[in-house]
Amino acid sequence: MEPWLKRTLVALAVFIVLSPLGILFTWDYGDAWGEWGEVKLPNGKVWTPKSYFNAPLPDYNVEGWEDKLMASIGYWISAVIGVAATMLMSLGVVKTIELWRSEEGK
Amino acid sequence: MHIPDGYLGPLTCAVMFLVMVPIWYFALKNTSKRLGPKEVPMIAVLSAVSFLVMMFNWPVPDGTTAHMVGGTLFAIILGPWASVIGITVALVIQAFFFGDGGVTALGANCFNMAFVIPFVGYFIYKALKERIGKVASAGVAAYIAINIAAVVAAIEFGVQPYIAPGYCPYGLNLSIPAMAFAHLTTAGPVAAVVTAVVVGYLERSRPDLLALKETSPNIRGE
Repeated sequence: MEPWLKRTLVALAVFIVLSPLGILFTWDYGDAWGEWGEVKLPNGKVWTPKSYFNAPLPDYNVEGWEDKLMASIGYWISAVIGVAATMLMSLGVVKTIELWRSEEGK
Repeated sequence: MHIPDGYLGPLTCAVMFLVMVPIWYFALKNTSKRLGPKEVPMIAVLSAVSFLVMMFNWPVPDGTTAHMVGGTLFAIILGPWASVIGITVALVIQAFFFGDGGVTALGANCFNMAFVIPFVGYFIYKALKERIGKVASAGVAAYIAINIAAVVAAIEFGVQPYIAPGYCPYGLNLSIPAMAFAHLTTAGPVAAVVTAVVVGYLERSRPDLLALKETSPNIRGE
């Protein structure tokens, strides 16, 4: 393995370990703007966005893991799964376009 | 900046997917012509870097949160077209595995984060690097790019009350200041510092990775 690749993978692993900081830093904060589950409108009504899809690990957590420790573990699991899935899928896309290129080359 | 389902009306969602189709097509086509042995694993790791930096939420002084995307860094190393692919993959995984960003808003989210950020960031970096150096231009480019993307997302949110009642309840008068504030004060500085630090590290230890254009002539997809 090339040294830069090895070093980048080590850095990724370190950031996966640190990833729960991403929720702990913002524990007492609300959602990002425009990413609320429901909105209390000035007229007193509550608006909820329509939902079309249920993700298996919503908000990078296992459903029901609410306290800081369990949510951090859920975040870790999500980081590992997410990084692995992202790398596999991008490798898959790149391999597919390589095939596409070699088909076009014929 | 991940717009969830239910905030954008059907017309906006459809238009944003339609806009992304040719961008995805050219990204795949351009990248396919320009893949060297270094670039294949690099797209995969940069895609994972982008996924991971988006998990680091930072507190915004108004009580919300924001995060960087890594699009400018990706584009500085591999060019904007490969970044479209890598960040699109991260956004697809976020939407389908973690419900971060709606499946109907995926076109809009890809436009904002996988297209606007890498292209704006890349061209600002390119325009400035001879004048103020790679490190400073990387920071400036990352800062401006994420803020432009945030305002584009705010426009998508903010036009809904006028064109699609029942979707995002807040108009442009609220969405633009809120999104701009979060990214000018929080996500922008984080993106600028991280991008500049990584580019500075690469400039010292692996300058070849910042000069892939010279070593693999067509990689940047221009």
